[in-house]
Parts: sequence; C-alpha cells; structure tokens
Amino acid sequence: MGLLQEIKVPLIAVNDTSLTVVEISHANGDHVQKGTTVMVFETSKTTYNVEAEVDGFINYLCEVGSDYEVNDIVARIFSGKEEADTATIPPAELQPPAVHHQNGQTIAAAWTGITIFSNGAKKLMEESKLNTEAFAGRDFVNLTDVESLLGIRKTPAAPKTAAAKQVSAKEQELPVPANSTKVKLTGSKKREIEYLGKVQSTGLTSTINTHVETDGIFIHINNALAVLKNSLLPVIVYETSRLLKIYPLLNGYFSGDSIILYNDVNIGFAIDIDKGLKVLNVRNADTKQLSIIENEIVDLSTKYLDDKLAVEELTEISFTITDLSGEDVSFFRPLVNMQNSAILGVSSIDQKLQRLYLSMSFDHRVTEGKLVAQFLKDLKNRLESYRGNGGKTLTSTITCFKCAKRLSEDLSDTGFAKVLTPSGEEAYICQSCFKGF
Amino acid sequence: MNNTLNFNDVNHKLLKTALRIRTVEEKFLQLFSEGKLNGTVHTCVGQEFSAIAFAGQLKKRDFIFSNHRCHGHYIAFTGDVRGLLAELLGKKSGTCGGIGSSQHLCHNNFYSNGIQGGIVPVAAGYALANKLKKANAVGVVFIGDGTLGEGALYETMNIISKWEIPLLIVCENNFYAQSTAQKTNLAGDILSRPEAFGIKTWKGDTWNPDQLMKTAAEAIDYVREGVKPGFFLVETYRLNAHSKGDDDRDTEEVKAYTERDYINQFKRDSLSYYNNYHGTITEEIDGLVTEILAEEELPIQDYFEVQDEVKNDRWQQIEPIAKRQVELLNQFFKEQIVNDDRMVFLGEDILSPYGGAFKVARDLSFLKPDRVFSTPISEAAITGIANGLALNGLKPIAEIMFGDFITLAFDQIVNHASKFHHMFNKKIKCPVVVRTPMGGNRGYGPTHSQTLDKFLIGIDNVKTVALNTFIDPGIVYKSIYREEHPVVVIENKVDYGKKILHNALKNYRYERSESDFPVVRISPAISEPTLTIVAYGGMADMVAGILEQIFIETDHKAELIVPTLISQLPIDVIKESASRTGSLVVIEEGSPVGGIGSELIASIMESSDHYIKAKRIASLPVPIPSVKSLENIVLPDKNRIIREIAENFN
Ligand SMILES: Cc1ncc(C[n+]2csc(CCOP(=O)(O)OP(=O)(O)O)c2C)c(N)n1
Repeated sequence: MGLLQEIKVPLIAVNDTSLTVVEISHANGDHVQKGTTVMVFETSKTTYNVEAEVDGFINYLCEVGSDYEVNDIVARIFSGKEEADTATIPPAELQPPAVHHQNGQTIAAAWTGITIFSNGAKKLMEESKLNTEAFAGRDFVNLTDVESLLGIRKTPAAPKTAAAKQVSAKEQELPVPANSTKVKLTGSKKREIEYLGKVQSTGLTSTINTHVETDGIFIHINNALAVLKNSLLPVIVYETSRLLKIYPLLNGYFSGDSIILYNDVNIGFAIDIDKGLKVLNVRNADTKQLSIIENEIVDLSTKYLDDKLAVEELTEISFTITDLSGEDVSFFRPLVNMQNSAILGVSSIDQKLQRLYLSMSFDHRVTEGKLVAQFLKDLKNRLESYRGNGGKTLTSTITCFKCAKRLSEDLSDTGFAKVLTPSGEEAYICQSCFKGF
Repeated sequence: MNNTLNFNDVNHKLLKTALRIRTVEEKFLQLFSEGKLNGTVHTCVGQEFSAIAFAGQLKKRDFIFSNHRCHGHYIAFTGDVRGLLAELLGKKSGTCGGIGSSQHLCHNNFYSNGIQGGIVPVAAGYALANKLKKANAVGVVFIGDGTLGEGALYETMNIISKWEIPLLIVCENNFYAQSTAQKTNLAGDILSRPEAFGIKTWKGDTWNPDQLMKTAAEAIDYVREGVKPGFFLVETYRLNAHSKGDDDRDTEEVKAYTERDYINQFKRDSLSYYNNYHGTITEEIDGLVTEILAEEELPIQDYFEVQDEVKNDRWQQIEPIAKRQVELLNQFFKEQIVNDDRMVFLGEDILSPYGGAFKVARDLSFLKPDRVFSTPISEAAITGIANGLALNGLKPIAEIMFGDFITLAFDQIVNHASKFHHMFNKKIKCPVVVRTPMGGNRGYGPTHSQTLDKFLIGIDNVKTVALNTFIDPGIVYKSIYREEHPVVVIENKVDYGKKILHNALKNYRYERSESDFPVVRISPAISEPTLTIVAYGGMADMVAGILEQIFIETDHKAELIVPTLISQLPIDVIKESASRTGSLVVIEEGSPVGGIGSELIASIMESSDHYIKAKRIASLPVPIPSVKSLENIVLPDKNRIIREIAENFN
C-alpha cells in the first residue's frame, strides 16, 4: 500500500523552466494502467505526453491551463483507491525546492546542459521505473548514482517533493472594455511572447536589409538539389552557417554582463504550416554538405507535419532563419529569438526585378550595424556567386573522401582529382591521399 | 724509405711542437701503466705532423672536430697542454672537468667525440653556420681511414659539396682500424670517393712534414677563399698500440716505420738538439703532472643537478581555434623565420611550393631562401648538421619526414645532441629541434605509421614533446624555441588536419595548465571523476572524442589528462587525479613493453601512498598492417579501449 509514482514537471528544454498542463486525461481516483497517458504538457516547442509507469490510482495536483515549474509534482499514483481519493497537499506544506546530493556533497544547481546516462544507469532506472527528471541538474548519471538515489547504496538520496505551484501570469491585467471579447492566450503564445520579448523589449534591436540578384541563380542550385528545386533555403542555410564561423558574434547571445558564443552552429529555420510556428534545428550545419542540409530540411519538415519532432530538433538553436519567400513578401522585419543575437529573414523573389531582400535583425547589445552589414554583404556575394558562374563547381562542398580535407583547405595548390571509390561511387581525393608519401 | 733530411731552422720549431705532443702522449702511457689514469687513451705517436699541418695552421676563429685520437689535434690547435693533462687525470681543472677525458674534449672551437663518423655532419653544420654568418672561418674534421666505413660520412660529403660548405675533411690513413688492416675492410680506393662527390682532394704524408705543411696550407686556403669543401688524405703510421696494449701488427712492419719516423730520424741525426728539446719539454710536463695530481676532482653537485618536476599550479579554460594544426604550425615557423635570423629550417622535400610531405614548411623557402635547406635523403646528416648549426649559435629546426625514419638519426640525438652539454662540462649548449610526424590510421603500413616515442624518452638532457589538438601548437613551439637544449617534437599525421578543440563535448570542462609545456585536463562538467585516463599525441584526440561513449558503456566518468612533455610526465597532476579515482589507464599508440605507460605507472606507483589500479592500453606488438581492418585492430581503437576499460575497471 502506498505511493507508487510521483509525476513531476519534466525538464524538456533548457529554456522551459515551466510548462503548461493542456490535458488531464482522468479524474481523481481513476484507475490508470501502466503505459496509458495520464496528462499532456505543452512546451514552447511541442507537446509532451506523460504515461503512467505503474498500474494504480491517480490523484492530480494541478489543473488544465495552468503553468507549473519544472520538478513540481503534478500528480501521484497510489496503490489504493482511498489514498488517491483523499490525498491532497495543502499549499502550506510545500517544501523547499530540491537540492541534489551526491556523495554527501551538495552540488550547486549549476549544470543546465543535458544529462547523460550510462547504459547501466538506464537499465536500473527502467527496472525501478525511475524517471530521468530525478537527475535533472546532473551532467552524468551512472549506475552508482542511480543506486544511491534508490537507497541501494548508502549515500544520502535526494529529498524530493516540491508540490505543484502555479506560475502566475506576469502582465498586469486591465478591465475588459465593453463590446469586446477576451480570448485567453494559449500557453505556447505566452511563451512566444516571453521569448521574443526577452530580446526585443530592451528596444535595442535593429534591422538591416540588402538585396540579392537572383537572375539565373537556380540553374546551378537546382542541379545540386534533389527535392527542394527552386528553393534558396538549403543554400542560405549552407552559406549562413559557414559565415557564422567567421562572425561568431552573430552565433551567440547577450546574457547578464557577458556575451555567450555558441561553439556549434545550429541553424533553426522557422516553419508555420497548419501546425503552428516552430523553429526546426539543422544541427552543426557548418559541417554539413548542401545535400545533407537539404535532406534534413525535408526530414524535419515532414516530422513537423506528422507531429513527430523530437525535443532535440527544436532546441539549442544558435541562429534562426525565417524564410517567407513562399508568402509573396516584399520585405519584413524578423524578431530576434531568445538566446540568439540575430535572425535572418528571407523575402520573396521579385520576378520582374529578379531580386529578393535579405533582412537581418540583431541585438545591439551583442553587435552593431557595421558587422551585420558586412555579414549581409558576404552572404549576398556568396549567394550571387551561384548565378551563372560558367558551370564551375562549388569548391566549398568538395572534400577528400579519404581524409575529409576540404578543397578550400588544400595547401598544395594542385586541387583534387575526381575518382571512383572502391565501392564505385564518384568522389574527390586530395593529392596527398592519392599519391601517398 | 730513406729520404735526405734537412733539419733547418723552420722545422726545428715544427719539431719542437711535434716533440711536445709526443712527450705528452708518452706521459699518458706511463701514467696509465702506473694506474693514475682512468679509462683509456689513443695516442697519436707517429702521426704528430698531421695535427700540426692542419690544426696548427688554422686561425683562432676556425674550428676543429676530431675523433678518439685527438690529443695531437688538441695541442696543435689550442696549445693547452695543461688542460689536456688535467682532463685525462680526471681533475676539475681539466678542459672538461674530467668528464670527457681522452675522447671528448672541448675548448675554444675545438670539439672531439668518440663516435666514428658522427662528428662529420656536426662539423658540416658548424661550418654551414660560419658560412651563413659570413664569418670567413673554416673548419677541419679529422677522421681515420677505418671511418671510411661509416655512412654518415658519405651523406655529409654529398651535402657539403652540393651546398658548398667550407669544411676540410682530413683522413688520417694509418692503414689500420683498431686491429684490422685496411686491406681487410676497404674496397676500391680512398680519394675517388670524395672525387665522386665533386670534392677537391689533396694528398700528403707525415714523413715529409715541410711538404705536408705547404699542401695543407694550400687546402685550407682553397676552402676559405673558395668557400668550398675539401678532402685531404694524409698517409701516416701510428707507432704505438691502438689504445694501450692491443697491438697485433707485424713487429717488423712497426720497426720499419719506427725507423722512418721523422722525429726518430731527427733524434738519430741531431741527438744533442733532441736531448735538449726533449729535456726541457719533459721537465715542463713532469712539473705540470706533479702539480695536477694534487688537485681536486669535480664534485657531483657541479655536474648533475636534479631537475624540477613539472609543476602546474594554474589552470585556464581552453578556447577552440578555427584553424587546422598544420596551418598554425606553418604560421609559427613563418613568423619565426622572418623575425629571427638564427632560425634555419632543414629537411627532405621542404622547399615550396611543395613545402614538406605534410606542408608544415609551406612558403618558408619563399620567405627566407637562404635559411631553408632541402636535404637529400640523409636523416643522419640532417640531424648532425642541425646539431652543428646549434653548437654554432643558430636555431635549427630539422624535419624528419616520417617518424619512422628517426631511427636513422638516433646516433645524432643520443650520442651527440644529448651528450655535448654535459660531456663538455657545460661549456656549450646544443639547442637543436628535431620534429617529426608519427602515428597510424592512414594505411601507410609498417614503416610509415609507427609511434616510436618510447625510444625517444629517457634520453639525457633531451626533451620530448608530443603535440595534441587541444593546445595551439604555436604556444608549445614558443616554449620549444626558447629551450637551450635539444628537443624532439612528435607531431601527428592525423592531427595535422584537425582544428584546436574542434569537437568539444558539452558535458566536459576543458582546461590546460599554464606551464611551458601545458598539460590538458578534460573533466566531467560537475561530476567527480571515477577513472583517470592519460593519453597524448594522436591518441589524445581520439580518446577525447569517445569520453561519452566510454561513460555510457563502462559507467566511468573519466577524467582525461593529456601531457605535452612526455619525457618528463606531469606526475603530480596525474597522481592527484588517480588518487581520487583509484583507477588509472594509460593509452599510447606505440606498443606496450617499455613504453610511456610503463614509465608513467612506475613513477606513480613509487610515489603514491594509495592503491591505484592501473592498466596500459597500447598497440599490439607487431608491425602496423596497411590493410584497414587489421590496422584498426593493431592500433588501439575505440572499441578495444572501451572493452578493456570495461573489463578491467568494473
Ligand atoms: C661508431 C663507432 N664504432 C666503433 C667504434 C670503436 N672504435 C674506436 S676507434 C676504432 C677504429 C677507428 O679506426 P680509424 O678510423 O682508422 O682511426 P684510427 O684509430 O686508426 O686513428 C673503432 C672501431 C667507435 N668508437 N665508434
């Protein structure tokens, strides 16, 4: 008899310190079966179903439409119905937030990155139905850590039970005037406001526009693309990601009294077709070839339409591109996302003038107009270089299939040779690998 | 055999010098038989005029390299009889404090070493430095006829001819090498050898000293004025044993040469002069010996100082650099060669546009054509010449194209660069840098893939550095460049193409110590580590890349420590970590027996109070196969590393 499972608000993305409950699937005291969905959260990016990990009787500590902080307990599953019916925690009994213990030492809740679990840890967690959230704030969790938490090892386990506390709305409400209807914001809209507000509300963002000549641009690009013919997005992601390596300030964000620069270039592209506005992540785009980038854009978009996106595909975006070229847009001012220092907007091609506008909004606390203008100029030149360049190959995409050296990094000045690999594929080879030593 | 002798005034002076050399040599033999002389002596009795003709006719700014039979050369060039006597008697006031003794002398541009052949490229490097400095100085290197069997000689003759290096090779042909008569060992003839390299030759003998003096002067002038090499063959005969009692030569033959000997003829013809001269010299030498015998020997503290351990008190976070290692290396050398006239870069195939097999030397020869030397395939000579350049005040960087070939340079590293400073009792320094790429994973097979670092640690006074992909190689090379003693740098073929900290894992901290040869430490972001891994060179990058995988599969939160200076491992840092984790793995790309792992674990064990479980992971002890599937198995690959950690530490 007793408590079988506590359901806590999961940490799904680093930015989401609170989540909205959008669905409660049962009534208090209902019997739930292992594996059934008991409730649904909405994050800024996606929805998240919580399943029962045991058979038992459920008791909710939350309500639909409210936001709860990560690690708050929002429901509990008991072995007996009576407990589930009667269990309530009055707000006065709320306990202080959790502190993680390890080897008797308190670890400052400094780690906000992902938690990596060893296979041994995962196995025991599965066996003992332990949630990964139990280890939020840790960098690594191994078997010993899990055993400690379960009390199998004699190290103090983390005392945990902060109960659900509603996160209150921030904006002060004014009375609703007559002849008007009040429509409650959805959780995702609220978070969108929070995200965009973070950077924009300082009033220190600005936008710079430039145009790109597009005459003949698709002749070469379409050759290189398999599916997304007549789309500039893959090439823009490709070139932007490489340029960001040269302009690290645009691949970071403002924080406190510092500027944080991302090591990786993870390009997010915004998408909004029926399923709401989402930004999908092409990870390490700077290391990927054009065809791979194209594949990923297609893949991610398909997953978006099928509601199959994983959290990693929506998070850790270091730079955002919003492509409205399909919307017949002349030009627009994109808004900088939280934890980004800039965003690139792509407008539609003016078919008469054969040109399109690129707009870049940026956080003035991180950089300034001159740098952004230079970035845009570089990007423009790179994009325009795809126009009728006499059939020259895109050198930046060529790498030696043996040592992965890029043609642009070749020091020999001889260039690469085209070869058939042992498996019969066409590839390039650098002269060192070709001739040997 | 009899020539008419005319002992005029001029050669009385000559005779007195020769007699002085002979008297010193005979004194040594006497002291030796009395047990007052430690070790050995090789006397030049019978060959004295060769020493006087060359060593005696050089200028002060010129130089000499000599071999085991060097006393005559030394006295003729430096006049320092007292220093020589004290040296062989093992006294502190000896020319090298008694460290070098008979075969290892160093004084005012005079150097000798007991390794046959090895001094020839060193002399060439010394001469090249003079040429680069436009010093108008020449040098003589003495070899015996037996040394015509050494390969380093031919590598050097090729180069001095091609590069027009002002060096005179003097071959003292006494027809024997130790116990072996020349006809047993020497094919063909002697002079056609240098002639084949286009080197001008001369010939003389010690039975006609006047003529020898004249021809020698002519040869020296030719080398000085023409700034060209020369080869002088001197026929002579040693009247005593090779060293002490080891003489199996025909007594009749020895007797005939004893009679023919110029000094002996003088003694026969002008006994009163002889007695007069000999008496004075003997008296002088006896006086010196009595005085020296009472002197003290060098205390060990003056010779050997315990070197400080590498201490790393301060650590800093590592920042990535978006440039490939090879570019950073090239950038360092470009800046250095432009800004420092002392720098000389030499190696095979290093001229631009080719710029070396791995492009480290790219554009150097465009920037400073007179300081970049593309060499023939001559690893011993490359390294020897670099040693000579270093002894003569320049900063040579020698490239050995593949680490596998460093074995051909081994004599120069171990018997020359390593020894000079101490065996010459710290009178000189040899700040040479030898760099070479090692490592496999490129399918180059048994002789182009090896990691031979274990043969390069434990060489006295030589630092061995292994670059890695976590520290800007420019920073490491700045320290290397500042070193006053030899450094061997092991680079890694696969790492050349990588950027600095190119693939940092998010859940780890990357720090480096602020010492001259930084130690890198990669630790879990907040967790306490449970395993200490040490890897260096190419292995470091590989292991760093699989830390997460090691964790997932073995349950170990590993801390990776990457030493840069592998000849003097950062024992304190490693011990500190291993004491906390209780578990230590050393991963090296060479084979395990007698390797870096063995050395490291032994050092940790002898100084640790804790029990630390230790494990070496290394290549299998077979030549590295070219075929990929087997190469992957022979070299420590990630699957084997993970498996061995799992098997040994759970
Ligand atoms: C590399 C090397 N091999 C062997 C020896 C041992 N060794 C010392 S002297 C000598 C004979 C050298 O003969 P030669 O060059 O003709 O000189 P000589 O003794 O006749 O003056 C030998 C074999 C040595 N010192 N160095």
